[in-house]
Amino acid sequence: MKLTQSQQDIITAPFDTRIFLSGPSGCGKTTVGVERMRYLLEQGVYGESILVLTPQRTLQEPYQELLQSPEIGAGGQVTLATVGGLARRMVDLFWPLAAEAAGFANPDQPPIFLTLETAQYYMAHIVRPLLDEGYFESLTINRNRLYSQVIDNLNKAAAIGFPHTQIGERLDKAWLGDPSQRRIYQDTQDCANRFRAYCLEHNLLDFSLQLEIFWEHLWGDPIVQDYLTRTYRHLIYDNIEEDIPRAHDLIRGWIPDLDSALLIYDENAGYRRFLGADPETAWRLSDICSSHASLNDSFVASEDILALSDSLAHVINPASTDAPLNGFREGVLQYADAHFYPELLDWLTEEISTLLEEGIEPADIVVLAPYLSDALRFSLMHRLETRGIPVRSHRPSRSLRDEPATQSLLTLAALAHPQWGIRPSEFDVAYALMQAIDGFDLIRANLLTKIVYRARELALSPFDGIKPDVQERITYVFGGYYTQLREWLLSYQEQDVVPFDHFLRKLFGEILSQPGFGFHRDLDSARVAASLIESVKKFRWAMASADTDALTLGREYIDMLSEGVIAAQYLGAWKMEEENAVLVAPAYTFLMQNRAVAVQFWLNPGSDGWVERLFQPLTHPYVLSRSWDNAEGHYWTDADDVAANQATLARLTTGLLRRCKERLYLGLSELGESGFEQRGVLLKAFQRVLQEMGDR
Amino acid sequence: MNITYRPSQQKILQYTHGTMGIAAVPGSGKTFTLSALAAEIIGRGDLAPEQEVLIVTLVNSAVDNFSSRINDFITARGLLPRVGYRVRTLHGLAHDIVREKPGIVGLDERFGIIDEREANYIRKEAVSAWLAANPNALDDFLDPDMEESKKDWTRRQQLPRSLEGIALAFIRSAKDRRILPDQLRAQLANQPAPLPLAEMGLAIYSDYQRALAYRGAVDFDDLIRLSLDLLERDPDFLERLRYRWPYILEDEAQDSSQTQEKILRLLSGEGGNWVRVGDPNQAIFETFTTANPQLLRDFIANEANFQRELPESGRSQPAVIDLANQLIDWVMTGHPDPDARDALSPPYVQPTAPDDPQPNPPVNWAGLHLITKKYSPEAELKAIIDSLARWVPENPDKTVAVLVPRNTRGAEIADRLKKEGIEVIEALSSTQSTRQTAGALGNIVQYLSDPQSASKLATVYRVWRREWRDDDEYTEFYKHITKLIKKTGMVESFLAPTHDEDWLASLQESESEDVIQELTFFKENVQRWLDAVTLPIDQLILTLAQDLFTEAADLALAHKLAIVLRQTANDHSEWRLPELTGELSVIAKNQRKFIGFSADDGGFDPERYKGKVVVTTMHKAKGLEWDRVYLTSVNSYTFPSNQPNDNFISEKWFVRDNLNLEAEAIAQLDAATQTGEYEWYSEGQATLAARVDYVRERLRLLYVGITRAKEELVITWNTGRGESTQALPFAALVREE
Repeated sequence: MKLTQSQQDIITAPFDTRIFLSGPSGCGKTTVGVERMRYLLEQGVYGESILVLTPQRTLQEPYQELLQSPEIGAGGQVTLATVGGLARRMVDLFWPLAAEAAGFANPDQPPIFLTLETAQYYMAHIVRPLLDEGYFESLTINRNRLYSQVIDNLNKAAAIGFPHTQIGERLDKAWLGDPSQRRIYQDTQDCANRFRAYCLEHNLLDFSLQLEIFWEHLWGDPIVQDYLTRTYRHLIYDNIEEDIPRAHDLIRGWIPDLDSALLIYDENAGYRRFLGADPETAWRLSDICSSHASLNDSFVASEDILALSDSLAHVINPASTDAPLNGFREGVLQYADAHFYPELLDWLTEEISTLLEEGIEPADIVVLAPYLSDALRFSLMHRLETRGIPVRSHRPSRSLRDEPATQSLLTLAALAHPQWGIRPSEFDVAYALMQAIDGFDLIRANLLTKIVYRARELALSPFDGIKPDVQERITYVFGGYYTQLREWLLSYQEQDVVPFDHFLRKLFGEILSQPGFGFHRDLDSARVAASLIESVKKFRWAMASADTDALTLGREYIDMLSEGVIAAQYLGAWKMEEENAVLVAPAYTFLMQNRAVAVQFWLNPGSDGWVERLFQPLTHPYVLSRSWDNAEGHYWTDADDVAANQATLARLTTGLLRRCKERLYLGLSELGESGFEQRGVLLKAFQRVLQEMGDR
Repeated sequence: MNITYRPSQQKILQYTHGTMGIAAVPGSGKTFTLSALAAEIIGRGDLAPEQEVLIVTLVNSAVDNFSSRINDFITARGLLPRVGYRVRTLHGLAHDIVREKPGIVGLDERFGIIDEREANYIRKEAVSAWLAANPNALDDFLDPDMEESKKDWTRRQQLPRSLEGIALAFIRSAKDRRILPDQLRAQLANQPAPLPLAEMGLAIYSDYQRALAYRGAVDFDDLIRLSLDLLERDPDFLERLRYRWPYILEDEAQDSSQTQEKILRLLSGEGGNWVRVGDPNQAIFETFTTANPQLLRDFIANEANFQRELPESGRSQPAVIDLANQLIDWVMTGHPDPDARDALSPPYVQPTAPDDPQPNPPVNWAGLHLITKKYSPEAELKAIIDSLARWVPENPDKTVAVLVPRNTRGAEIADRLKKEGIEVIEALSSTQSTRQTAGALGNIVQYLSDPQSASKLATVYRVWRREWRDDDEYTEFYKHITKLIKKTGMVESFLAPTHDEDWLASLQESESEDVIQELTFFKENVQRWLDAVTLPIDQLILTLAQDLFTEAADLALAHKLAIVLRQTANDHSEWRLPELTGELSVIAKNQRKFIGFSADDGGFDPERYKGKVVVTTMHKAKGLEWDRVYLTSVNSYTFPSNQPNDNFISEKWFVRDNLNLEAEAIAQLDAATQTGEYEWYSEGQATLAARVDYVRERLRLLYVGITRAKEELVITWNTGRGESTQALPFAALVREE
C-alpha cells in the first residue's frame, strides 16, 4: 500500500508520542491506525502491551484482519476492546474490591453479568406489574420498546456520567410538549430506581452498573491502576467521536501514564449519538496530546462525488459546509423513478447486473435503505440470488424466534415437557416432524400428525398402531425415524428434568444431528440450535440468583421468547457469508463498517426514515448529553429539533458519500413499501441539488 | 393540452390569496377545478423549493390524473417528479404530521396504525370482557314487557352486537371530542346523578385504548386527534408547517368534522390561504362525528373572503336535474318536520351552456320511472330483476347501477341477478385487483395449511394458471389438468413420490407429453411452496407472489400484504397458517382496509362495467354516475320523515321507550364532559334529536341517489316488514311530476 508522507510520519512516530489525528472520512486515518499497530509489532513491542480501543466491535475489523494475517508472527496477543468490554473485564477481575462499596447485598457471591436481553428480562419483570397499576398510561408504545428505553436511560446516565437518579428530572425540565405527558418521566425514574435496587440486591450487573462500578470504585484504585498501567503501554483508539463521554474521561486520565497513544477522530462522523456518543468530549482530548495531526485528502471519493456530497450537505444544512460549491459530472448521480416499490427492485437488479458486466466487483456495490424490513430484504436478496449475483445482507441480528429450526425445537420441547401445559397446534407438530426427519415432506408429516398427535394429552401415538395402508403411505423409512424420535421423547420424560439448555443439547446431539434426522445435513439449522442453546444458557446464568427450578426456567424462557422480551438474537451468521458479494444494509450499519465501495444505491430517498427522529417518548439523546444545559426554563424546542435533524442528515449523507468512489444511484418510488406516498426531506434535497445544477 | 373552463370555474382560477368558499353541485367538476387551481398556483412560481400546495380530500381517487399531469410538467424541466404539491386525505395528512414528531404526543417512533378490522377485533374483545363482568348492568334498558326467557335470549344474542355498535359510536365520539379515558373518568366521578351508559362506554373505551397502547398502535381517529394536539402544543412546529404549506385546498369540505376543520384552520393560520370546496347537500358521512354541513355553509356565508359557486353540471339530463331541484324545494318548504327543512339548500343544479365541453344528455321525461306501486320486498326485488333482465341485453354499451340502502339488501339482489345469468359487480370500495391478489394468495396458503387435499391442490392449479381460464386456446387443456389433479387421491404420490408410488409416472401411458410436462412444471412450483411453509409469513407471501404475479401493482400489493400479515402474526403470536389464511380471505372479501394502497386506489370507474349491473349502497355511490340508476327501498323506514308511525333503525325493539342507545350514550358522554349549567342529561332527548339528524341525513342521501343518474332513473319502494309506507319525499316528488 502506498502511504503519504504525513501518514508515514505518524506511523513511525517515536514510541513516546501522543498523537491526536483528525480528518474527514475516507482520508486514510484508520489505515494509519492499523499501520501504526503493525509498526509497533514489527519494532518488537510486545503485543500484550498494545491496547486497541474502538467504540463498537464492528469497527475493530481492519485491526482484526491484520492480526489474523500470516505476516504477523506470534508476538503475543494485542488486546482489541471497547471501553465497556474493558470495564466488564475489570469488574470481573477485581470484584471483591468493589462489591461491598458499590452496595451489593451479597458481596461475597460472584457477580452475574447481564446481557442486553437478560437485562430486558429483569426490567420486564419489574415494570410489568407497574403497568397494570397505571404507569405510562398516556404512552402508546410496544412494551418491549418501553423496557429497552428505560434501560437505555440507565446506560446513558452511566455513559455520560450523571447519577441515574437524575434521569427523570433532566428529561422533565427540557420538556415542552403536552404537560399531561410529564408523569411518564416520574414513572421512568421510578422504574430505573427499582431496577437498580433489584440489581444490587441480586448481584446483577447490567451495562450501566458495570460502567459505573468500574469508574466509581475501580478506576481510582491503586491496585487496578497498577494492573492496567503494567499491562498496557501503547494505546490506539480509533473513532473516538463515536464513543461515550465516560470513555473519554477514562482516556484523559490514562494517557499520561502510557508510553504512546494515537487517538483517531473522524470530523464528519458522530453517528452513534443515539447511543450516547459525544464528538465534543472526544475532540477535547486533543488538549492532552502532544501533537495534533490532520489528514485531508480523500483516498476514496472522486472529485465529482465530493462535489455532490458538498452540494447535498449544503442544501440539507447550510451550516455544515462553507466550502465553495463545485459542479459534478452528470453521470455521477443517476436515478430511476417507479410508481410501485417492487418495480424499483427490478430496476435495481438490472442495474447491478449491468455493473457486474462492466467489471465492477460485487463487493464494490452496496444497496442502502434507511430501514430494511424483512420483506424488503427478502425480496431484494431473492431477486439478486435468482440472477446469480452474490449478495449478503449485513443484518446486525435476527431473532431466533423467526427461525424455523427454533420453532421445531420448541415444539419438540413442549412435547417432551407436558408439565408445561404448552399445547402446540397440529401445524406446529407437523412442521416440527417435517424438519426433524430428513427428507420428510409436509404432506406425509401432516398426515402422520393428524393420526398420532393427541393434543389434549400432549402425547404421540406409536407408528405401529396406524393402519397398515396408511403406514405404507407414510413409508416405513419415515415411520422408523418417527418411532426413534418418539421413543427418545418418552424415555426423556421418565428421567428427571434437566436444565433447558441441557435438554436442547441432548435433543440435538442424540437425535436431530444423527443420520436420517433433519439437522444432520442442515448446517444452518445446526447453527440456529447452537445459538438457541447459548441463549438459554445465558438466561439460566442470569437467573442463577432467582432460585428457579429447571422446569419453570424452561417454561419462563419460552414465554419470554414468544413475548419478544428476549429476542435471542442470532449473531454472527453473516460472517460466514461470501465476502465478495453485493451488500444490502441499512445506511447506518454500512457506516459502522467503515469501508468504501465504488457504487452506492440509495433506496427510497423519499422515505422519512432517513431522518432519525430524536424524540423517543422516554429518552432523548441531546437532553441526556453532557453538553445539554440542564437549567430551569431551558427547553428542547422545535428549532433544536430541526437543527439537530438537519445536522444528522447532512452528516449521514456526507459519511455515505465519502465512502463512495464513483457513482450514486437513487431508487425513487412514488409509493413506499406500505403504499404511502414518499415525500421525505432527502428527496427534496436532491431535487434542490438537481435544480441548482440545472440553473448553473 | 387545451382545456376550456366555464366562467364559474375561471372565476375560481383567478384566486390568489385569502379564504375562499365554494358551494358546488353534483357533477360540477369540483375536483377538476380544484386541481386546476393547484396547478395554477404552482405554475405562478411563487413557491419556495421547500413549499407545497396542500390538497386535502376525502378520497385519493380523483386526484390521480392531476398528479400525473403535474408530474409531466415538472419532469420536462429535468426535475424530480412529485414536488411542489402534496395530496392527502385527512387521515394521510394527520399521519404525516404525527409521523414527524410522535414523541410530543406520547407515541413511540415506530408507532403502528391499526386498521378498521383490527380495531373491530379489539373492540369486540373489550365488549365481551365488559359483558362478562357486568352481565345484568343493562337490564334497566331492556323492554320490561319482555318475557324473562326472551330477555335471556336478548342478553345472549342481541346485546353483544348492539353493544359493539354503541361502543363504536361512543369511542369515535369521545375521540372526535378529544376526550381521553382518564379525563372522562375524573369527570364522571363528579356527576350528581349516575350516567350508566357513559360509565359503560368509559370502561370499554379504557380497555380498548389499553389494548392499542399495548400494541404500540393508534387507530384512525387517534391520528386525527393527536395531530391536532401536536399542532396546538408545538407552536414552532405549527409555524414550520404553515411555511411549508402556504396554500391549502380542501375538497369535500362538507364532510369535515370540527376537529378536522380545526386542523386545517390551524395550518392555514390567521389570514392564511385556504380554499374550501364542498356540496353541503351531499353530506352523508356525519354519523358519530361532529361534522355538520352547516359549518361549510357558515364558512362560505360569513367567513370566506371570496364566495364562489359551481352550479353547472353536465352529468344528468334535464328531467333528472329537475327532480333533484324539486327535492331541494320540497324539503325547504314542504317537509312536515320544520326542523328538517335545512337538510338541503341552494344552489340549485343548472345544466351547462350549449357550447360546454361537457353537455348534458338530451332531455327525456320518459327516462324518469317513479314507480309508486306498493311492493313487498320480494316483489320489489322481482320487479327490478325483471326490468334489468329486459334492459341489460338491449343496452350492452350502457352503465347501470342498483343502489340499495344496506349491504344485506345488495347481497340479495346480487344473488338473484347471478341466478338470472346477469353479470354483477359488487363491493365497489376495493379495486378488483386487491381482491384478486389477496384471493389468489389466499387459495394457495389455504392449500398449504391442508396439503393432503387434492381439491385444494386443484384450486391452486386454477389460480396458478388463471389467465388460461378465458383463453380459448387453453381452456380445454386447463380443465383437463384440473380434473386430473382433483382425482389424484393421494397427493403425496404426486408431489413427493416414492419409488413404488409415483402418480405422475403412472400417467405416462395414458396422458400426452404436454400433460406430463405441465404437471411436472406445476409439481416443481408446489414443491417449492411447500418448502417455504416454515418461513415467516411475510417471506412465504413474497415467495408465492414472485411465482404468481408479474404486474407491478399485484406485486406491490403482495408486498403490503406481507407486511400486514407479519404485523398480524406479531400481534397474535399463537396464530398459524390457518388463522392467517383467514385474514387473507377477509382482505379478499374487502372487509379490511389499509391506509396506503387504499381501498379507493385508482377509483372505481363505472365505465369499465358496461353491460353489467353494479350493485352497491347509496353511500358508496357518491361521486359516481351511471346511465341508468335504480333507487330501491325508498320507503318510510329507509327515508323516515319523523312521522308518528316511523320506525328508526337505531331504536332497537328490545330496548324500552324506543331509546336509541347509541344516541343516549353519546348524550351522556356530552353531559359528563360539558360544564354548562343547563347541559344536564335528560333521558330520551338525544333519541329525539337523533331522529331529526337521521331524517336530514337521509334526505341528503336521497338527493345523492337521484343525482347519480345520467339518463334514466327508476325509483321503487317496498313495505318492509309490512309497516313501511312510501317515503314522504318520494310521494312529494311523484305529486310534482
